[in-house]
Amino acid sequence: MKISDSVVGAGFVAAGALIIAGTLNYPNLDAGHPGPSLFPRLLGGLMVIFGGLVGVGGLRARDATEDVAWLRLYRNSAFINAVFVLGAVVTYIVMVGRIGFILMGTLILCALMWRLRVRPLAALVVAVVFSNFVYLLFAKILRVPLPGGLFWW
Amino acid sequence: MIENLQGAFSLLTTWNVALTILICSVYGLFVGAVPGLTATMATALLVPFTFFMDPVPALVSIVSMSAMAIFAGDIPATLVRIPGTPSSAAYTEDAYELTKQGKAELALGTCVMASSIGGLFGALVLMTAAPLLAEVALKFTSFEYFWLAALGLSATVMIASTSPLKAGLALLVGLFFSTVGLDITLGYPRFTFGSTELLNGINFIPAMIGLFGVSEILRNMASAHLRLPTTDVRAQHIFRGVGKVLWKYRNHMMRSGPLGTFIGILPGAGADIAAWIAYAMARRFSREPEKFGKGVIEPIVGATTANNACLAGAWVPALVFGIPGDSITAILIGVLFMKGLRPGPEIFARQPELVYAVYISFLVANLLMVPFGYLAIRASSTMLRVPRNILMPAILMFCVVGSYAINNSDFDVGIMLATGILGYFFEANGIPVAPVVLGIVLGPILEQNFMVSMIKSDWDLTQFFTRPTAAILGVLTILIWIAPFLPAIVRRLRGGAAVA
Repeated sequence: MKISDSVVGAGFVAAGALIIAGTLNYPNLDAGHPGPSLFPRLLGGLMVIFGGLVGVGGLRARDATEDVAWLRLYRNSAFINAVFVLGAVVTYIVMVGRIGFILMGTLILCALMWRLRVRPLAALVVAVVFSNFVYLLFAKILRVPLPGGLFWW
Repeated sequence: MIENLQGAFSLLTTWNVALTILICSVYGLFVGAVPGLTATMATALLVPFTFFMDPVPALVSIVSMSAMAIFAGDIPATLVRIPGTPSSAAYTEDAYELTKQGKAELALGTCVMASSIGGLFGALVLMTAAPLLAEVALKFTSFEYFWLAALGLSATVMIASTSPLKAGLALLVGLFFSTVGLDITLGYPRFTFGSTELLNGINFIPAMIGLFGVSEILRNMASAHLRLPTTDVRAQHIFRGVGKVLWKYRNHMMRSGPLGTFIGILPGAGADIAAWIAYAMARRFSREPEKFGKGVIEPIVGATTANNACLAGAWVPALVFGIPGDSITAILIGVLFMKGLRPGPEIFARQPELVYAVYISFLVANLLMVPFGYLAIRASSTMLRVPRNILMPAILMFCVVGSYAINNSDFDVGIMLATGILGYFFEANGIPVAPVVLGIVLGPILEQNFMVSMIKSDWDLTQFFTRPTAAILGVLTILIWIAPFLPAIVRRLRGGAAVA
């Protein structure tokens, strides 16, 4: 997802300014020397400068090498794949406590493999076997308290 | 020393450590041989497992895995013209052209032997240089440590990247991440937004898994080529003629070994850069530079020696100063902290058996590389057939569970996801990810030593230059920053002198 350097630079300038703004209420050390705010302010300041330079460089080079067609994003298979990955992890975080690791893991793996054109039966078999393998490895052998949920052993 | 060696040997010959070496070697060979999976990603995914190991097997697992992975990257580079890891990219064209000429066996045999020799050379440098530097480092104060961290970060930005500005931005992001949580002077919460989870800062391990694991998965899934080209090359007699090649190009190996190790010691520069520079050096010293890129074995010898030598070199500053030499050792430092061990000169005095175990494991891994590499080459056509559209979702599952396992926290899974998106966005826009990691690791060292130095010198900045070593390191750091402007300054001075 390449976007132009001028936009990237502007983003970093904004981020640097936000970092500095976030430190305005930080307390000083004795004798008025800066304490917790010193390092983040330096970083924020440098981020503004570096971001500005990248942005100006992008403007000068008339860098418009965006490979993102924003209006056709819904047709971009790479973007949809990425959304699937993000959706899978967010769904995992929200749902794993309720339905448990094995079922959740199986569903996520099936969805991702279906998206990547793995045959449905193969996807289901791999998802079930792999979820149980990960559960055995982490929950049973390494004693990580993965949520058991509906199907657990 | 003998006692320490004996102690390290006895630690390494226990069944669980031997088994760890075996499993991690196979894991490294697999990761290296499958394009799209990098050694750094593999290290990040290994960390959740090291969490449950004792320190020695934890370190040994990283050593053996990374050594094997860097070599194994040569296999798909040779057979299907896709480097398994970025470290093999420099000589992919030559290796593949050799395959087309029917010399795949010679290319792969040369890769495995030169990699092993390079790795052994790097290990010997690590064994000799690290203890000597540790003696020196014992005398360091907060001033020297501040400058060392600053030097490391400066080298990362100015030397080891194509765009210093973008690398600088990546570094600043990493340093900013390191400021999240309670500050070191007053214990004041910074950028926590009321979250109790953020009071301890951004957990290093999920961030690592996100930056190197999830971003790679996103990149692979965004690629249209989830299916790799297959190969039917049968490489059986890979060692035939290799001795002759290595002897003929021994000078390349003798130059590339020290070069690779030195680049490894340099913070921020990793095995990929070592291979590119060694390739360029081989071209410079070659009698037939015009044949490079068209299927000659000569540059492969030097470059593959350098990338494996680089690995051990990167451990020198990591163990001695706590300053990572590359992104793998940045993760290593996180592992050491996780184990309650503080990298630095004290580790040589307090846990010598641990340091010696690292030395020996480097030797063992690089010796094992020959038989294991042979087997991996024999199995290469099978490994290349592993469908990535099944592999990527499976790796994502490991990323999720691995991030969760460190603190049993879903919040860490969220950190992994956020840093994964960030890493993907950075890579897509030419912003390197490695400086983010170095920033997260070195941020606390940099800030803590700076604040301690400022407070003890009563805010007198000149104190940073009053101790000889600190002054040298400070001048070196400043020189690195002004180096890009030096030609212009010299030109202006000369112009002024001519006018006068």
